Amino acid sequence: MEIKKINITVNGKPCQVTGGKTILEACEEIGIKIPSLCYLKDVSHNASCAICVVEVKGAKTLVRSCINKVSEGMEVKTYSPLISQVRKTNLELILANHPKDCLICERNGNCELQSLAFTLGITETAFPKTKKVDKIDDTSLSLIRTPEKCILCGRCISVCSDVQTVNAIDFSGRGLRSRVSTYRDKGLGNVACTNCGQCALVCPTAAIVERDDSKSVINDIYNNDKYVIVQTAPAIRVGIGEAMGMEEGALVTGKMVAGLRKLGFDKIFDTQFTADLTIMEEGFELINRIKSGGTLPMVTSCSPGWIKFIEHFFPKSLDHLSTCKSPQQMFGAVAKTYYAEKLNIDPRKIVVVSIMPCTAKKFECKRPEMNSAFHYWKDKLSLSENDNFFDVDYVLTTRELARMFKQTGVDFSKLQEEEFDTPLGISTGAGVIFAASGGVMEAAVRTAYEVITGKPMDKIDLKAVRGFDGIKEAELDLNGTKLKVAVVHTLKNARTLLEQIEQGESPYAFIEVMTCPGGCLGGGGQSIPTTWEIRQKRADSIYKEDRLKPIRKSHENPAIKALYDEFLIEPLGHKSHELLHTGYVKRGVY
Amino acid sequence: MKISDLAKLNELKEKAAKKILPDKPYIAIGMGTCGIGRGAEVLFDCFERTINERNLDILLKKTGCFGYCSEEPLVNIYIPGHPLIIMHKISENDVIPIITGIVKGIMPYRNVLCRVEEWDFITGKFKFGEGLTDYPLWNEVPFFKWQKKIVLRNCGIIVPDDIEEYIAVGGYFPLYKVLHEMTPAAVVEEVKTSKLRGRGGAGFPTGQKWELMAKVKGDQKYIICNADEGDPGAFMNRNEIESDPFMLVEGMTIGAFAMGASKGVVYIRAEYPLAVRRLKEAIRQAKEYGLLGENILNSGFNFDIDIVEGAGAFVCGEETALIHSIEGKSGRPSPRPPYPAERGLYGKPTNINNVETWCNIPVVISKGGKWFTKTGTERSAGTKVFSLVGKVKNTGLIEMPLGSTLETIVFKIGEGTGSQKRVKAVQTGGPSGGCIPVEYLNTPVDYESLSSLGSIMGSGGMVVMDQDNCMVDVARYFTEFSNGESCGKCTPCREGLAQTLEILTRFTKGNANEADIHKLENLGKVIKNSALCGLGQTAPNPVLTTLRYFRDEYDHHMIEKKCEPGICQSLFSALCENSCPMHMNIPRYLQLLKEEKLEDAFESTLRDNPLPSTIGRICHFHCQMKCRRESIDAPVSQGDIHRYISDTIYREGKAQKIYDRIIREKLPLTHKRIAIIGSGPAGLTAAYYLVRLGHDVTIFESESEAGGILRWAIPKYRLPLEILKTEIQFIKDLGVHFVFNTTVGKDVTMETLENEFNTIILAVGAHKDIALSVNGNELEGVLSGMEFLKDVAKGNKPKIGKNVVVIGAGNVAIDAARTAQRYGAEVTVVYRRLKSDMPANKDEIKGAEIEGVNFLFLCNPKEILADTNDKVRGIELMKMASGDLDLSNRRKPVPTGESFIIACDTVIMAVGEEVEATFVRNFGIKLSSNGNIYSDHFTFVTSHPKVYAIGDAVTGPATAAEAMGIAKKAAEIIDFNLMNKRRFHKLFRGFDYSDEVPLKPEGGNRHYAVRRPFEERKGNFDEVNMGYSKEQAYAEASRCLRCDVRVTVNTEED
Repeated sequence: MEIKKINITVNGKPCQVTGGKTILEACEEIGIKIPSLCYLKDVSHNASCAICVVEVKGAKTLVRSCINKVSEGMEVKTYSPLISQVRKTNLELILANHPKDCLICERNGNCELQSLAFTLGITETAFPKTKKVDKIDDTSLSLIRTPEKCILCGRCISVCSDVQTVNAIDFSGRGLRSRVSTYRDKGLGNVACTNCGQCALVCPTAAIVERDDSKSVINDIYNNDKYVIVQTAPAIRVGIGEAMGMEEGALVTGKMVAGLRKLGFDKIFDTQFTADLTIMEEGFELINRIKSGGTLPMVTSCSPGWIKFIEHFFPKSLDHLSTCKSPQQMFGAVAKTYYAEKLNIDPRKIVVVSIMPCTAKKFECKRPEMNSAFHYWKDKLSLSENDNFFDVDYVLTTRELARMFKQTGVDFSKLQEEEFDTPLGISTGAGVIFAASGGVMEAAVRTAYEVITGKPMDKIDLKAVRGFDGIKEAELDLNGTKLKVAVVHTLKNARTLLEQIEQGESPYAFIEVMTCPGGCLGGGGQSIPTTWEIRQKRADSIYKEDRLKPIRKSHENPAIKALYDEFLIEPLGHKSHELLHTGYVKRGVY
Repeated sequence: MKISDLAKLNELKEKAAKKILPDKPYIAIGMGTCGIGRGAEVLFDCFERTINERNLDILLKKTGCFGYCSEEPLVNIYIPGHPLIIMHKISENDVIPIITGIVKGIMPYRNVLCRVEEWDFITGKFKFGEGLTDYPLWNEVPFFKWQKKIVLRNCGIIVPDDIEEYIAVGGYFPLYKVLHEMTPAAVVEEVKTSKLRGRGGAGFPTGQKWELMAKVKGDQKYIICNADEGDPGAFMNRNEIESDPFMLVEGMTIGAFAMGASKGVVYIRAEYPLAVRRLKEAIRQAKEYGLLGENILNSGFNFDIDIVEGAGAFVCGEETALIHSIEGKSGRPSPRPPYPAERGLYGKPTNINNVETWCNIPVVISKGGKWFTKTGTERSAGTKVFSLVGKVKNTGLIEMPLGSTLETIVFKIGEGTGSQKRVKAVQTGGPSGGCIPVEYLNTPVDYESLSSLGSIMGSGGMVVMDQDNCMVDVARYFTEFSNGESCGKCTPCREGLAQTLEILTRFTKGNANEADIHKLENLGKVIKNSALCGLGQTAPNPVLTTLRYFRDEYDHHMIEKKCEPGICQSLFSALCENSCPMHMNIPRYLQLLKEEKLEDAFESTLRDNPLPSTIGRICHFHCQMKCRRESIDAPVSQGDIHRYISDTIYREGKAQKIYDRIIREKLPLTHKRIAIIGSGPAGLTAAYYLVRLGHDVTIFESESEAGGILRWAIPKYRLPLEILKTEIQFIKDLGVHFVFNTTVGKDVTMETLENEFNTIILAVGAHKDIALSVNGNELEGVLSGMEFLKDVAKGNKPKIGKNVVVIGAGNVAIDAARTAQRYGAEVTVVYRRLKSDMPANKDEIKGAEIEGVNFLFLCNPKEILADTNDKVRGIELMKMASGDLDLSNRRKPVPTGESFIIACDTVIMAVGEEVEATFVRNFGIKLSSNGNIYSDHFTFVTSHPKVYAIGDAVTGPATAAEAMGIAKKAAEIIDFNLMNKRRFHKLFRGFDYSDEVPLKPEGGNRHYAVRRPFEERKGNFDEVNMGYSKEQAYAEASRCLRCDVRVTVNTEED
């Protein structure tokens, strides 16, 4: 479509802006920032807050600049005494029912409401509280909702319904009793919420946040009886820098390792190690399914939000899922078995902490079946059911890690880069790209191709599955066998492919699904804000890291080879089956 | 039976005409929801039973509603050859006489409201019959006289459940014309020509809306009828559907053809079960007759209608919310654009119109757009149906040509309040509309005029409010409604209305301050300007209009913490106390008396009112006008009781003990000197309180004695001199100095007072008779009422003759008449209005009548006639007729041109008094435009900071109690201004008495004091009202229902 410039008048001055844009976007283009609150580009056009109002000549009332488009000859005023009065009063009205405990709020300093109050010059509490305080929803293992802090902007609902098609939350109640709530107020933990955390990522305040486990982690670090090891997901190295005040998408692998060491973790490992391991297991599983006529398409199982989604909404299709655990869970299982044996440490003393860009991982690590190490040791150490322990003990998001760094005085900018510990810190470029949508597919192809064809791949970059298109497809030629694969991110797109599968019309052999927009680098546990521009920068850093890695294929990872040689014997072997594979639950929607 | 062509339609019409004009009698009962609520269903059963039992050949019909709610149940009686008779307020007792009459061929004669000889159904005319001219024609009845029934053309006459009756009166011919003779574009053009505008309230031109929709391309288009009527007090749409559902179905079918829609939805609230039932039946029948569904009227056009029942959310009347609701989503508006015409129901092009808009369509087609524009105004064509409710005599559903004035609606159709109470305001447009004060009722009702007053037409709710409505409470009520119905989506509406409600609630509790007014205005402006949908944008209208027109009521709540109409419960203890200008604690002294604590009872009244025995005799008894006991039998005679209490105390010599206590309680001397000019009720009251506060008070009085109007104008047969003297003596004993025979401005200057006193209070009253400009008023024998009374009070022999005419209707007129009568004259009181309009105390009028005073009502003096000596010889009186109600809810006296002469030798003019304030003006103090002294409404300060003005001097002639009430308030403020401390409450004390509420009304009917026999009154001034006996006083006191006692029940929501 041809982009046409149109003429409008803004604050008395004629100017040219791009046609088809909203007034807010058009004004941004000419350097005028209209304050807004509920509006979030690409996410929410709820038009509820009434902050971004402007005067348009001929309109009966003020006009919301976030939804009204510019038109030829339009005369707009973005500032006037009336506009100022309306914006200020509306914000004061919102603040009336919002707690003023900024000092003790986790979004202190990173709260859109707080900064808007500053921008608009709010200096007094103009109105008293009129709302009853709803109970905090702490039913979810991943997310905590504090309705009192909610300003009903609707972003979380938009993201949950439009981006993820989960609809776990919606508005309920009328008037002053309007609230964001779950089905029959059961709480996020008791409904079809996938724990993806995109709601927390877009929330302008602290109304929805991750469940904060950092205090328990610190306690364990300072407990001499515990051996606390940490694994970091690939997306953390491109996300944590932002949270520590560096530029968007900053690649900070070495600093992150150094910082974690400063925090006092006993070992700093990398989830990328088990990403490589996942490729081995999942790759062989795919080959196996193709060869033995197993259920196809096979769908990846790394993304716990996606797992819960399919369990809720497509329970009939669970056998399409790869039985591989996610890299995080593989890591936990390996750390508490292989690594414990290797170091001769009582597995019960090992505390595995994951740093993840993901809130759903908090739920994943507490799934009852995620205790393979316990079963591994049960007989050997004569453990009772009461001694049960999980493979992964804590999951911290990027944001929680940043908070820990800040609280413990880690000055990120001055840190010298350090290396991961061995052997569970050794990884390949294939492990790195797990952070981006298409990365698992690309990593898998790098290995599968060579395993099946027996020849090295000449061009290992699989560009067709990179980028942020909703549904990406590629056709692979494996020794004459044509294989159609697809990559999707967001659950909305996943739903499309799942519906295809259920209709029996899926042309694919293998599908990669990542829950969050852009993949894990855009995860619900990442730094706020996370926009498409920022996701792109993080992806750029990820692919840069991949290029810089000396080894870029999982099967070439020496530590993985050693793991198989010393412990697992072979992919899909007996130990793999016990420790690295899992099953799923049919949940249904209600 | 499917109707396929015009011939069949005509055939059916012919056949069905027999249903409208059958060859045997019929009885039709108005069975709208309102009629059923008033017993129509029971009535119908009763008719049915009787007819069956007697095996009579009388048809029985269930019609819709004729609109006259206050007269329900309505019953139409038809006997072939006679006019249709509409009967009102019919009960089961009337059934037998009516039926017996019909059997004999005799029309009923009782409870007949009107007759209908001919009825114009607009789409057809029917002639019932002529005769029975004793009954008014339907359009001669005030309620119908100014109406024009276009939408309601069939309502109440035809049977809503029978499509054949609808066809009989010309229904479905418009649809035939549209489908077979017109193109869709031509239909749109006709609607555009009609200038019909949306009747849902916003007034968007319907033709234009249809044109936009017709142009949009789409495989599937929808039309929707918005029947989600939800304003408090509005029931137009309900009745339109209940009484004539086919006009809606036909209107929608025509619209669907014009706009190319094949599906229609009626979104109607589930709270309208009868309307839903009748509409379903109408749709069923229309399909059966081939007038809806596939291939309508054999034209190839298909259209079907679904009914969706809404759960009753007000916001679902907003079109985008309504669409969401139909789709099964929660009813929350979404921003426009896109408009429904682009993307509406299920994302398809959609047109939404209100019920009434659709109902106009068949008429527009039948009679043509041009015809339609002949009714209404240039910009607002046609009629609008309103539901007229509230404090109005005739309530109901009325259909008015647009541009009719509110005055016509309220005073002509509604016939005013139907009581002595005055209309205060009209609320149009429900919670989205505004309150229009009575002064603006000459405003024409059209979209633009109403919005210029800050209100809106809305869907047509019209609530009339009278003096007993508190406008702050009205604003609070509507805001509470809007707040409760806000969907909660956008900030200004959700949060802003909640805050507005919070502030308004603060007003009703007396906790608001000046800043709150600004907050209300600010919130109103912000919500209006930035709410997402119509509900929010209009929700501040009730607040903004009441702030604009009734700011004084907000001030009362805020500054005085009073709610004059007695609505805001937190601001008063009982309604009698609240309406008493002196706020006497009436339930308290009644209870104290009941408990035989006579002295306490006296002390209680005395602390509230320095002249308890005097005022107990002459008060207007504002308290009685509000007494809740009236809802059972008659108000409690509060005044008679406090008169009894003080009279008894005086008689038994018990007063001094209490006086001494109060004198002992005087606060220490403040050495502040206060001059009060005038010793009338206001001056005495101010002095009484101020002297007790320790101030040095001097009253300057131009006469030789204190009391003002009490002493010089009220005849002794009403107020014995010794009672007044006793009470004034106590004020003297408290230490007030009186300087008599001293006229300020003459004997002593204002400047002197200004120098010698800290504060000056002007309490000069209003006692100068207003001269009536009539020829001959300078003749010998023409007296002023006040002068005449004063002359008598001074003991002089009055200069009256044998035949006295008194002009006027107030207390002065009656006092003058009864006084003259006591001197042996033949007295006639002349008044230009009706007896019921007389402002004098009813008791006094009655007394005058008993004593033989003649009254001539609806007469106005034209000329006073002179004899040869320039003495009065007679008076020529113009006969007046009672005209329309004016804004004061009284009928205007209109000269008839006919006059007559009565002989007399004396004419006493008593048409009112005015303030004589020359010396005040000379001193440089501002006067109001009406000649009264200007003083601030709440502080009583005049334009001179040291000078206060109180009483009639400020208000013009009012009652003694009102003057004293102002004086009491002023004393409090003056003391605070002088001492900078709140001390006034120290003058009062608590009393021990029971707070038990009588479980059932006690004390029997109202007790009347014994009046002196008529024969004993002649030629003397002995007191007429002899007061209560002990038994009477106690019994009367126990009639009090104790509404001051409140039980707080915690009714927290959830």
